Amino acid sequence: MAELQREFDKRGVQVLTVSTDKPGVIQKKRGVHRLKARMLSDRNLAVTDAFGLRNQLIHSGPPGDDVEALPVPTTLLVNSDGKVLWIDQAENYQRRSGPEVVMAALQTHLDAP
Amino acid sequence: MKTMTANRKKIGTTLGFVALAVAILAVALWSRQINQVAIPEDRTLFVAAFLAAAVLGVAAFAIGTRWFGGVPAIFAIAVGSFLPFTIAISPQQVAENPIRVGDTIPIFTALDDTGERFRSDDLAGSPVLIKFFRGHW
Repeated sequence: MAELQREFDKRGVQVLTVSTDKPGVIQKKRGVHRLKARMLSDRNLAVTDAFGLRNQLIHSGPPGDDVEALPVPTTLLVNSDGKVLWIDQAENYQRRSGPEVVMAALQTHLDAP
Repeated sequence: MKTMTANRKKIGTTLGFVALAVAILAVALWSRQINQVAIPEDRTLFVAAFLAAAVLGVAAFAIGTRWFGGVPAIFAIAVGSFLPFTIAISPQQVAENPIRVGDTIPIFTALDDTGERFRSDDLAGSPVLIKFFRGHW
């Protein structure tokens, strides 16, 4: 994870995360990953819906949390003009891409050939 | 009759433990894949292993087990059915018009984890990696 942060810094890439977790929960877990990310709390799914990423299938959310739905796990690489260069998306929530996939995307789409 | 019942109970009890062993092995392998962020695309074998554990647990009861064979059998049934259930509910599907490569990201605003307001204009001029995820649970 620290290695990935160095790669982001090298290229001036900002990192933004979006989840429906309450701000307090996000803050508590921040120590674990140590990324310099801006972490958004999207309780009403406004951001998720703006991107069209609300999961339409069976909702299985955190126990005790009455959030309406969750986003489909998705990572986007966006250039400085706001254009989406690359998307990685899960077809089921148990399969996640590792950091090497993000690394490859940075190298493919942001580094000069 | 008594000997036959005793033999059956022996078999059933053993089956209870076998069921649990299969369940534990399957969970161990599954956990290892999860930690390596490497759950395979085809999870059929995992589902089969977990269901096998559950079926063996049920068989243990059907054949007849001593009480201490019933305990692992119950665990095997519970564990063996839980994972196939989570796999069944895991598929994801986006809305009709999701963001696609080539699109410009929408304008948006939200609170961050410190309660501070974030606006998408704050990003202007930098490339950004945006990660939507299911939360920390």
